Amino acid sequence: MLEVKNLSKSFDKLCVLKDINFTVEKGEVVAVIGPSGSGKSTLLRCVNQLEKAGGGEINVCGINMMHTNEKGKAVFADTKTLREIRLKTGLVFQNFNLFPHMTVLRNITEAPTLVLKKSKAEAREHAIELLRKMGLEAKADAYPSELSGGQQQRVSIARALALDPEILFFDEPTSALDPELTGEILKVIKELANDGMTMVIVTHEMAFAHDVADKVIFMEGGYIVDEGTPEHLFGDNASDRLKQFLQRFNQH
Amino acid sequence: MKKSILTRVLTGFAAIALAAACAGCGNNNQPAATTTAAAANSAPAAEDNSWQKVLDAKKLVLGLDASFPPMGFTDEANNIVGFDIDVAQEVCDRLGIELVKQPINWDTKEEDLNLGKIDCIWNGMSVNAARAEAMNLSEPYMKNEMIFVVPGNTVVKTMEDLKGKTVGVQTGSTAQEILEASELFKDITVTPLEDNVTLLNQMELGFSDAVFLDSVVAYYYIAENNKDYYVLPGNLESEEYAIGFRKNDQALRDKVQETVKAMKADGKLAEISKKWFGSDVTTVK
Amino acid sequence: MTGEQIETLFGLMLEYTIPTLKIFCFTLLYSIPLGMVVALLKMCKIKPISWLTNIYILIMRGTPLLLQLIVAQYSVPYILKSDACPAFLHALLDGVDIRSETYTFNMMLFAFVLNYAAYFAEIFRGGIESIPRGQYEAAGALGLNRTQTFFRIILPQVIRRVLPASSNEIITLVKDTSLASAIPYMEIMYIAKKQVPTYASLLPLFMAGLFYFAFAMVLTLLLSLIEKSLDPMWRRNVKTLRKGIFRRGNA
Repeated sequence: MLEVKNLSKSFDKLCVLKDINFTVEKGEVVAVIGPSGSGKSTLLRCVNQLEKAGGGEINVCGINMMHTNEKGKAVFADTKTLREIRLKTGLVFQNFNLFPHMTVLRNITEAPTLVLKKSKAEAREHAIELLRKMGLEAKADAYPSELSGGQQQRVSIARALALDPEILFFDEPTSALDPELTGEILKVIKELANDGMTMVIVTHEMAFAHDVADKVIFMEGGYIVDEGTPEHLFGDNASDRLKQFLQRFNQH
Repeated sequence: MKKSILTRVLTGFAAIALAAACAGCGNNNQPAATTTAAAANSAPAAEDNSWQKVLDAKKLVLGLDASFPPMGFTDEANNIVGFDIDVAQEVCDRLGIELVKQPINWDTKEEDLNLGKIDCIWNGMSVNAARAEAMNLSEPYMKNEMIFVVPGNTVVKTMEDLKGKTVGVQTGSTAQEILEASELFKDITVTPLEDNVTLLNQMELGFSDAVFLDSVVAYYYIAENNKDYYVLPGNLESEEYAIGFRKNDQALRDKVQETVKAMKADGKLAEISKKWFGSDVTTVK
Repeated sequence: MTGEQIETLFGLMLEYTIPTLKIFCFTLLYSIPLGMVVALLKMCKIKPISWLTNIYILIMRGTPLLLQLIVAQYSVPYILKSDACPAFLHALLDGVDIRSETYTFNMMLFAFVLNYAAYFAEIFRGGIESIPRGQYEAAGALGLNRTQTFFRIILPQVIRRVLPASSNEIITLVKDTSLASAIPYMEIMYIAKKQVPTYASLLPLFMAGLFYFAFAMVLTLLLSLIEKSLDPMWRRNVKTLRKGIFRRGNA
């Protein structure tokens, strides 16, 4: 479903991703954890075309998004292919990034009607169904500023799902929320996991990662330091670095 | 000297403005070449065809400030009237051409004349050295004294009493020049303003103690509006009014001069003067 | 001044509100789109273009509008007189009749438009730059192309954000039209100034003030209505309210 090989990325001289290798299988839920500045978000942004990777290879759903040629230069797929890939992936942002001038319903139907050329009625029907799933069908005509943070994030998940992506990415989906609101988002993600959705989640919620992920990736300093099942990573066999990180994390 | 700097600055600004226009937008506000009348008659002509040009166009464009009663001003119905206008109208009638009254900004009158926006300045314009240098002036047609007007109830009774007082004067006028060159200048505070009527109003309201202005204007006002003003005895300097033409437009100037003289001879000028001033105050020989 | 005189004066001023409105409307008509173009040029990644735009804005905002109006009036004859004037420009400008009313009006409008476009450009640029990057990223992640992103996501938000500052500029323009009286162009302020010596009274100026005040007030109301109507929540509430009234009316 997703294949990342030897991925590297630097901003000016600063190297933020080095030799990243991992795969995500269909139906798998992958949690990416690690300290701030470890490159987790950058990795997600590279895979979602918000940043241009400097080298390596990315394949999404069997389509090559980028690779490195013989001269060591990154070569990207043509615009059409990149768009095609874009529609197979969905992204949920830390700050929701809902469109403030549109109702909840239009936030969700805008892309399906514009990009997938769905009819208004069809897009609307799908959107209402998604809102029902998120427990927000009563808020269809509300504007984002009228919703709580948790509600806004659920709308943004519905918005991403409206394009029927094959793989869904979450960039710290609960970081901007008050602690009492994180639960409702985690519940939604868990439900999606139960439905068999393929997901990559960058998160600071260790208990949640342990609970829901099939695989956990621990990043630090731009490298993948450790990778494996939650039992392995959160168990006694984990690397010393990870143990140290978790220990510090639990102190908070 | 002063004018040549202004010319250069204006040229520079104009070039920048036009460059911005071309680079910025290709905006449709570029003036359309609608009419064919020549504009570039400012270059020194080899032969003087100024009168012929006016005759061909069948009109004389008279530039004025239109707020200088009784010489040239705007009446209640927004018509431009006045002593100068009546005389100019008669001149044009006799020459068989149309009189076009073109309001201008008094501060840029020399530019308007030299660049050909107008053919003459005829608006109670006082003769001074700078104007004689910049323009081709007609023979003076009226005498004017520069006097002080004070409110009727004031303690100021002579020019000597003005020391330490505030005096209003019209910006850019010869009155201002004369006042600033006078001995009195160092003892008074001068408040320049755009027009004489505002100055007189301000004086009534107490903003100033006196106004220094042309006697022609002052007497017309006092008579017309029944104002309780007092004119201080004596004057700083007497001056004369003349019509201004472009430096090279000798033929046009002579033609107008000749006609005014003829009007003096046959009594028409005196008639117009009586209408505005009650007597013949003109000094045309 | 007698009542009859005031009535005459009022009628005269009413007549000359048309030229004032003409300057106002044409300036807005051209300067707003031009301002948008200038804003985009200023944000242009090609440095020389962005610099040139900056210089233009600097000059327009850094010199008095009154001076710009005067310079515009004299630009054509001075360029024709100048030795540095290239032949093609000379040929282009030679037929211009500087005595015509069209010339006076067009050059005046030219200065007004260039001046106001510079101010609008800065307002629009501020508006565009105030939209968070996340909005572009969200639109991109949803597969919207650049045109769709600009017109569907960015522009509606920019319009709402720039409206208060633009309203301010528009109200200022109402009063700035009076600078045309210095050209001179016959509008309300010109009439008022010329009627001062005629009546030997300052009342014409006060009356002109009333005209501008009335004009600005109507505009203020209109603009606040537009501002409200661009607020989606206000629009929705009005709609629901109307529906409610309608339903009750039919019951």
